[in-house]
Amino acid sequence: MAWLQTEVLIIGGGVLGAAVARELSRYRVEAALLEREPDLGWGSTKANMCIVCQGADALEFRPEYKRSRLVWESIPMMEPLCRELGVPFKRIGELTLIRNNEERAKYQKLKTRAEKVGFTGLRFVGRDELFAMEPHVSREAVGALYNPDIAVVDPVRLTIALAESARRNGVEVHLETEVLGIERSGEEFLVETNRGEVRCRFIVNAAGVYVDRVARFLNADEFVLYPVKGFIGILDKDLGHLVSHEIHMRPEAPGEMNIVVPSVYGNLFFGVVLRLGRKGDNSTTKEMADTALRNLRKVLPGVSEGDVIHTFAGFMMFRNWELGWHECVVEASRKVPRFVNVSIGYPGVSAAPATAKEVLRLLEKEGLRLQEDPSFEPRLEAPPSFVDLPPEEQQSLIERDPRYGHVVCRCETVTEGEIVEAIRRGANTLDGVKFRTRAGMGRCQGGYCTPRVIKILARELGIPETEVTKKGKGSELLPLRSKELLG
Amino acid sequence: MRLQGVDVAVIGAGPAGMAAAIRAKEAGAQRVLLVERQEELGGLLHQCIHNGFGLLYFGEDLTGPEYAKRFIDRVYDLGVETLLETTVLEISPERGIRVINKGGLQSFRPKAVVLAMGCRERTRDQLGIPGGRPAGIFTAGTAQRLVNVEGLLPGRRVVILGSGDVGMIMARRLTLEGARVEAVVEILPYVGGLIRNEVQCLHDFDIPLLLEHTVTEVHGERHLEGVTVAKVDPHRRPIPGTEIQIECDTLLLSVGLIPENELSRRAGVELDPLTGGPTVDQWRETTVPGVFAGGNVLHVHDLVDNCSWEAELAAEGAVRFAKGERTEGREICLRPGRNVRYVVPQRIRGEGPVTLFLRVREMEEGMRVRVGDLWQKRFRVVKPSEQIKVELSPKDLRRLPDGVAEIRVECEVAG
Amino acid sequence: MKEAQIICVGCPLGCRATLKVSREGEVLEVTGCRCKEGRRYVVEEFRNPVRVLTATVLTEGSRVPLLPVRTSSPIPKEKLREAMKALAKVRAKPPLRAGEVVLEDLLGTGVDLVATRDLPS
Repeated sequence: MAWLQTEVLIIGGGVLGAAVARELSRYRVEAALLEREPDLGWGSTKANMCIVCQGADALEFRPEYKRSRLVWESIPMMEPLCRELGVPFKRIGELTLIRNNEERAKYQKLKTRAEKVGFTGLRFVGRDELFAMEPHVSREAVGALYNPDIAVVDPVRLTIALAESARRNGVEVHLETEVLGIERSGEEFLVETNRGEVRCRFIVNAAGVYVDRVARFLNADEFVLYPVKGFIGILDKDLGHLVSHEIHMRPEAPGEMNIVVPSVYGNLFFGVVLRLGRKGDNSTTKEMADTALRNLRKVLPGVSEGDVIHTFAGFMMFRNWELGWHECVVEASRKVPRFVNVSIGYPGVSAAPATAKEVLRLLEKEGLRLQEDPSFEPRLEAPPSFVDLPPEEQQSLIERDPRYGHVVCRCETVTEGEIVEAIRRGANTLDGVKFRTRAGMGRCQGGYCTPRVIKILARELGIPETEVTKKGKGSELLPLRSKELLG
Repeated sequence: MRLQGVDVAVIGAGPAGMAAAIRAKEAGAQRVLLVERQEELGGLLHQCIHNGFGLLYFGEDLTGPEYAKRFIDRVYDLGVETLLETTVLEISPERGIRVINKGGLQSFRPKAVVLAMGCRERTRDQLGIPGGRPAGIFTAGTAQRLVNVEGLLPGRRVVILGSGDVGMIMARRLTLEGARVEAVVEILPYVGGLIRNEVQCLHDFDIPLLLEHTVTEVHGERHLEGVTVAKVDPHRRPIPGTEIQIECDTLLLSVGLIPENELSRRAGVELDPLTGGPTVDQWRETTVPGVFAGGNVLHVHDLVDNCSWEAELAAEGAVRFAKGERTEGREICLRPGRNVRYVVPQRIRGEGPVTLFLRVREMEEGMRVRVGDLWQKRFRVVKPSEQIKVELSPKDLRRLPDGVAEIRVECEVAG
Repeated sequence: MKEAQIICVGCPLGCRATLKVSREGEVLEVTGCRCKEGRRYVVEEFRNPVRVLTATVLTEGSRVPLLPVRTSSPIPKEKLREAMKALAKVRAKPPLRAGEVVLEDLLGTGVDLVATRDLPS
């Protein structure tokens, strides 16, 4: 007996898988999404600069490349999507710094290409205007190319909201479910998972870093992808005022991007240093950290090591790593019918809305019948973010549930009410609470709230504190009780 | 509770805040309000179950909870009003305070404020230790709460980075609880905390102390599996080729404390980059009139007794301010000179007495500490880990010639 | 004759003292201390090293899981680990006030284990 039987199976609960699930939920199609981690968006999605952009390489606005098209088509789609789903979104605009004539010529070409595909808002700003807009950036700049369309989102919250919306519209979402093998049996796929067998007719392989491994189960890996590790750092909120746009500077070396961007929450993100890496090894290195900081100082000369509150690394799958540009994999397998591979590489979050639509077109071509579901509800009520509410609403929230009056994370002002709500919606680990509520993301990095969040998790999940994990099985935070080692 | 008409509001009920609230009441303030985010008064003292507190203040060797209890009892005896489980969201430059608790949001404006928010710990990211993001890495203070209050242990094999007092005390605690402390790793050539703790926390239990070493990488994706430790050169840079691997499931970081001044900053209080706390005068008044500060929020103290003492100064200043008494007079800056890392207060306004605290940068033997021409004392040894307290009397200050705008505080070789 | 090394904890100097000791265990000579008090301390620390033990015991019937405790006076240093094993078996029950005895005559030392804070129910 199959554990699960469905029409379309989506493998991978990153932003692309979740976007496909949500797109499918508009139609009368049986679909299910599997994610191996305890929460959504923990792969490449989470290791992200949070930018909704056109990419940052030679492919920008080149209609002959699919990735380029998916990315720019997505830009205008993101804001209404975020509004529907109650996800933080901020249009901040991008300034690409120009230091010399060579750079000016390069960005002139980019501007021309952008205009050709309909982005007419780009314009050059001179030195004075640039420094009026961004007084703290390097005086090396003589001007900038300004793109007002560029925005920032919270990628993990977007992924969770997409999956939640899909779930409410009928898609099954299964966490901590890992695909171990796939076989074909007539018109069906038999998918082996740690929970049992799944039978389905269509597969969307959006397994992120493991997209090639999943395709290989059926020899459907008609592409070669290189795992590229990216290093990103976050600066203290106190430095949030230093820039208000995404600042992009041409990197000195290949394998680097030089971006500084304010997140939707007011921290500055910086990076990305790219290096070929071994999948699953998300460790940062001193070399990457030093390079990222050196690059950052070229944009913002005053920043020091002590201003960094967090660093992390994650993977992107690149088709051609060494060329300075890369194409995506969003295509039906040529060998295996009804099997669609989806991998953007970067910028996956930016490309997600249009990619989901493209995947549905591919599924339709493969024979999936799509009939609109009139009961589809596009709107999703976001969990309350206490700190962003006006005082009257904060007050009434506390009156309704006094736990909203208990601040658990002091750095980001996250209340117990929000943490309980996040757990109710599916968070079951410390990192899950962190990514959903921001508790522990501030400058003390959980020093104050960790013991308290562990207690709340244990209480709400009805488990002993010794079983609370950071990010799922094998990451138990406090496995032993006092006196247990003295027996 | 009616919050209008409070004379002195104290933010934070640790050793500094409780002492300030008590002193404010004793000094004649009618209504003193103590605001605390936790469910009870005492702050971090409850997790500091070891002894060594109160030797200066009470002349007794107390544990943290015992030291706390003395103050807690006095707070209630004197009729200090308390707001527990209450977080201060904001202090405005006009001393408007916005608080939140399970009863809702409230705003009020006391006549004077004493900041006593204490400090927080430096984190892994501020050190930039590369590696994965596994479970099993805690700051020493967080681990102290988990072990001593919540009754939970992070693991069986522990490495501690930093030989500050909290790090060494946790080494002993975890050893006594049956865990194995593989090493205490210190980047400096000497221990960061008190000698007594080196002997009684490390030597007593044969815990290896690796001086001039640091953790250069952590290993493990889901759970910590080990750390790389390397020797450092005199510039504190790891020396390639000296790396050793230590298997462990827990890494505790005891690598420094940072005064917690998020609220102060938003109130417009000027901060001293040398201390991380507000710049103050001898009454511990910040640059925002009527806002005072004492304890670790001002600068990180070596002993809790000093936190309490200093907060009492701030309370006395706050009560004077609330009563409308203000000393005007010449302002003199105190500037750190040779081998002096910082001096608090940073300025003297008008008359004395002045209690000042200073810390040195480097350990030196056979030294003389000098406050301009006003005060000097010989020290057999000065250490960064032990602060030096100086009392200047009103008479001392009157000796200052007119027109002096700055006094240098120096630590010089005693001739 | 043998030698013993002891670090003085009396002040920040942390003198490293060397003690010459006779076969009978009598301290014959102390070198390395820079003050009289220090010499007294290191001799005492050599003859009879004692420590105040501070720890926690598990609770029963309380909303808090642990009660902090201390020994009412110092106990021999070599008994610290054994003392931990003994107090691991103790279950403190409310009501209990700071200063009250939790365990009498710890390991026959004549020293009691006392609560360092009130235990709420």
